[in-house]
Amino acid sequence: MAAEISDRVREIAEARGLPESEVFERALERGLEDLWEDLVLAQYLDGKLDREEAVERVGRTKVERADREREVVEEDVDWGLNA
Amino acid sequence: MTLAAVSDAGPLIHLAEIDSLELLSTFDTLLVPETVYREVETGGVPDRLADLSYELVEADESRIGAEELDAGERAALAIADERGIVLLTDDLAAREAASDADVEVHGSIGIIALSYGRGLLDRDESASRMRALQHETSLFVTEAVVERGIRILDEQ
Repeated sequence: MAAEISDRVREIAEARGLPESEVFERALERGLEDLWEDLVLAQYLDGKLDREEAVERVGRTKVERADREREVVEEDVDWGLNA
Repeated sequence: MTLAAVSDAGPLIHLAEIDSLELLSTFDTLLVPETVYREVETGGVPDRLADLSYELVEADESRIGAEELDAGERAALAIADERGIVLLTDDLAAREAASDADVEVHGSIGIIALSYGRGLLDRDESASRMRALQHETSLFVTEAVVERGIRILDEQ
């Protein structure tokens, strides 16, 4: 895995003409953004964060998608347990 | 209760990605439209699909007008509608089209929950496979939503 990461960083750096340190920085920013969105949506779905606050933090599209996914997963699990 | 279903490519691919195709044997009858089989074939037919008991069927997908769906989704929906059986899909647009047509529709998470409900999987294995669907497959589902599904398993 570590070798694969190094290879990918090198390839991206070469293709984009960036120093490898810049590639790592961008990767960290993107990863952190994903983790942040996961946290906000988890807090929203758990009722610890209201909808408008969640929309403000991660955007309406992601909150609406999470709403729809929640509905689907709840329907599916309920069906699976009772079919 | 006897359960019959028809699947589009999504659940076949996603369950194969987490080595869980055998869960589809929970259904008494499983249909796969030929169009769907060809779609799956382009990515390489999963080895375990051959171990499953399913029937390849032809569908007239032109009777489904939902143009936003791909041919496999339309074929599976046409068969589910025609035969009054469950549609298995992980695509939200296909799900909505099915609901509009009054077709019962469920996805890969539902198949795992069904396997738990019917005693094929225990709670921990069900939770682990639901998490694997989120982490290890091409299915897009928000992590927090999967965790909510696991909590519903615990509540019942």
